[in-house]
Amino acid sequence: MSDDTLRMLRESAADFARLDAARVRRLRGTAPGFEREVWRQLADMGWLGVLIPEEHGGLGLGLHAAVIIAEQFGRALYPEPYSASAVAATLALLHGDNTELQRRLLPQLASGELVAGLAWQDERGGLELEQCAVTVGEQGGRPVLAGSSRFASVPGADGFIVAARSAQGLELHWVERTAAGLACEPEARADGSASARLHFAAVAAPAAARVASAASARAALQLALDHATLAASAELLGLMDCALAMTLDYLRTRVQFGKPIGSFQALQHRAVDMYIQKELSRATLAAAVALADDPGCTPALRTAAASSAKSRTSQAALAICKEALQMHGAIGYTDEYDLGLYFNRALVLSAWLGNASAHRSRYAALVQGT
Amino acid sequence: MKYGVEQEQDWNALADEAFRALVRAEVEAHHPAGLRYPPRRLRWAENKSWYLRMAAKGWIAPGWPREFGGMGLAPTKLLIFLEEMERWGIARFQDHGILMVGPILMRFGTEAQRRRYLPPILACEEIWCQGYSEPNAGSDLANLRTEARLEGDAFVINGQKTWTTLAHDATHIFVLARTDKAAKKQAGISFLLLALDTPGVTVRPIRDLAGHDEFCEVFFDNVRTPASNLVGELNQGWTVAKSLLGFERIHIGSPKLPEYGLQVLLSVARARGVHEDPLFRERLAQLQLDVAHLGDIYGHFTAIVGRGEPLGPEVSLLKIWATETFQRIADLIVETAGDCGGMAGKVAMADGRIEVLAPFYKARPTSIYGGSNEIQRNILARQVLNLPG
Repeated sequence: MSDDTLRMLRESAADFARLDAARVRRLRGTAPGFEREVWRQLADMGWLGVLIPEEHGGLGLGLHAAVIIAEQFGRALYPEPYSASAVAATLALLHGDNTELQRRLLPQLASGELVAGLAWQDERGGLELEQCAVTVGEQGGRPVLAGSSRFASVPGADGFIVAARSAQGLELHWVERTAAGLACEPEARADGSASARLHFAAVAAPAAARVASAASARAALQLALDHATLAASAELLGLMDCALAMTLDYLRTRVQFGKPIGSFQALQHRAVDMYIQKELSRATLAAAVALADDPGCTPALRTAAASSAKSRTSQAALAICKEALQMHGAIGYTDEYDLGLYFNRALVLSAWLGNASAHRSRYAALVQGT
Repeated sequence: MKYGVEQEQDWNALADEAFRALVRAEVEAHHPAGLRYPPRRLRWAENKSWYLRMAAKGWIAPGWPREFGGMGLAPTKLLIFLEEMERWGIARFQDHGILMVGPILMRFGTEAQRRRYLPPILACEEIWCQGYSEPNAGSDLANLRTEARLEGDAFVINGQKTWTTLAHDATHIFVLARTDKAAKKQAGISFLLLALDTPGVTVRPIRDLAGHDEFCEVFFDNVRTPASNLVGELNQGWTVAKSLLGFERIHIGSPKLPEYGLQVLLSVARARGVHEDPLFRERLAQLQLDVAHLGDIYGHFTAIVGRGEPLGPEVSLLKIWATETFQRIADLIVETAGDCGGMAGKVAMADGRIEVLAPFYKARPTSIYGGSNEIQRNILARQVLNLPG
């Protein structure tokens, strides 16, 4: 994709995605926590289909485009589940081996009719695909899912792609939200959104709804998670940039002791350290995306690149938001001031798909090799 | 006018990888093995055989234009050249003539100055050092007091410079001196060239904390240098001096030193048997990522140079991150070394000997020289973040 296309995408995304703090506040603690109408608008812009091939109704633009959109979502604190549905769930489906299901669902994902979640972690969370606590068993000669999954994204989705273990190995299954035997228990997150604990009691798992057999599920899920991790990193980059810009504005205009507090060197140097973390995040995310998007990149290198980016952006976003709060003083700790929206989203996105510490460990395991 | 030896070919016409292979072959065939990755700055007597060879080959000034006797490398080729030198662990010599005097004379010098000074720089016959810092003019460089008075056809210099790297290896010095005491700070400074064997010059090495004498004090007692050695306009020396600072910051921002630190850290950890310890692994991973991300942002800035675009004040962040990352690594080396962390020189550890404190001593001054990190943060705060003064 040409630099021009990317630049135009960045401009139109920046133009569309502006912070509407009143809407963000209004949707906190509600179900589904986002607006279907806005989701349709996103689809009309083509953004929900940037990773979906043209023959399935998407634009087929690739990872760079998805990351550009995700960064703007981070800036505007959009509650719509772009990285979770349009990146993570979409890619898991796309890289599975059920072409019939792809033909049916991918166009619906691109058009915004369908919102999909992803459930792959057990009670403890973590980055290991093997820790899945849903199993594929049999009841009356038919395959069924049993067990539970935690930290599933998008409790208000129309259905979930669920990682489950069978005798053959890890598989991915499509389960509609209304499926008999599925219970969806939302857990509130710090920013007013939710993840879900899904309980499976003999939920039917017909072959037609199997997104990926054991032959492809691991690879498909890992790719989907790696790319979603980069998208989440881009959201973090967008929000840390905004939190820093707010803070710099405040330092320039807030007067105490007869001068703007931004003239004090103690604060200037701390602001510079925030800026350095933001610039490192930007450079590292760009390098990781370039690597992950390179056709010659091995899966292990791609996973390491995702960990590299997420470790930095998670750490930097939290550090910047905490410093931003301190520099604002008490006003920064109030719910009426917008900084808190960035702060709480930073907490959520830093923890989602693995926090800085988890990604440092995985990066080390992948590259240290000692 | 021919300044140096003839170039063998137009290097820029080669494919990048062909050029890299050619540089690598030269280095691997001829660089003396004993001089790779030295734990301290080498003296001229130690590494001159290599650099005289480079001079004879016409490779001493890779970044200079060919018309002035350099290799004339385009930015991407120059980066390849420097990467190959770093990759082989080749130490710099006192190269201020190549890095600073040459480019400054090309930009600000007269034709006569170029003819006089460029050929011996290219031949490594004259070695230059930098007379900037003074006892009362470090971070506040414009506060310098060394003065030069025009008397007839010569400037008479009095005063003192300090932290002058490898002045005892140099034959010449470029000096920032005050030529107008009435003018405010930056306004009354001039850029002068001077031979160190001129009567009235005294060079005295300063022993540093590591026990090395890399830098010196230089005293000037009624030292006369011809008026023709003024570079640029009288009282415009600050502009001349400032013109190369961006380059210095990108050079200090290279990931080379932190990467070397990580190697020593791993050796020390293995020798102490803690390299599998989970706590150590977590701290190592953080530092490895800090270095990897330094590489990412270094790549961002070198790409700007590669496109031939100017570096903005943002490049100061590179110097801060590179040097402070190196210091964090060096700190962990000392901590990991445990009882060996206070031992001088090459310390016996497990089956080998490791110079445990070399990275630590190397790391400490990096946040002081080239504009202290506090000065870099001031620059970023004012010029990039637009915070009020």
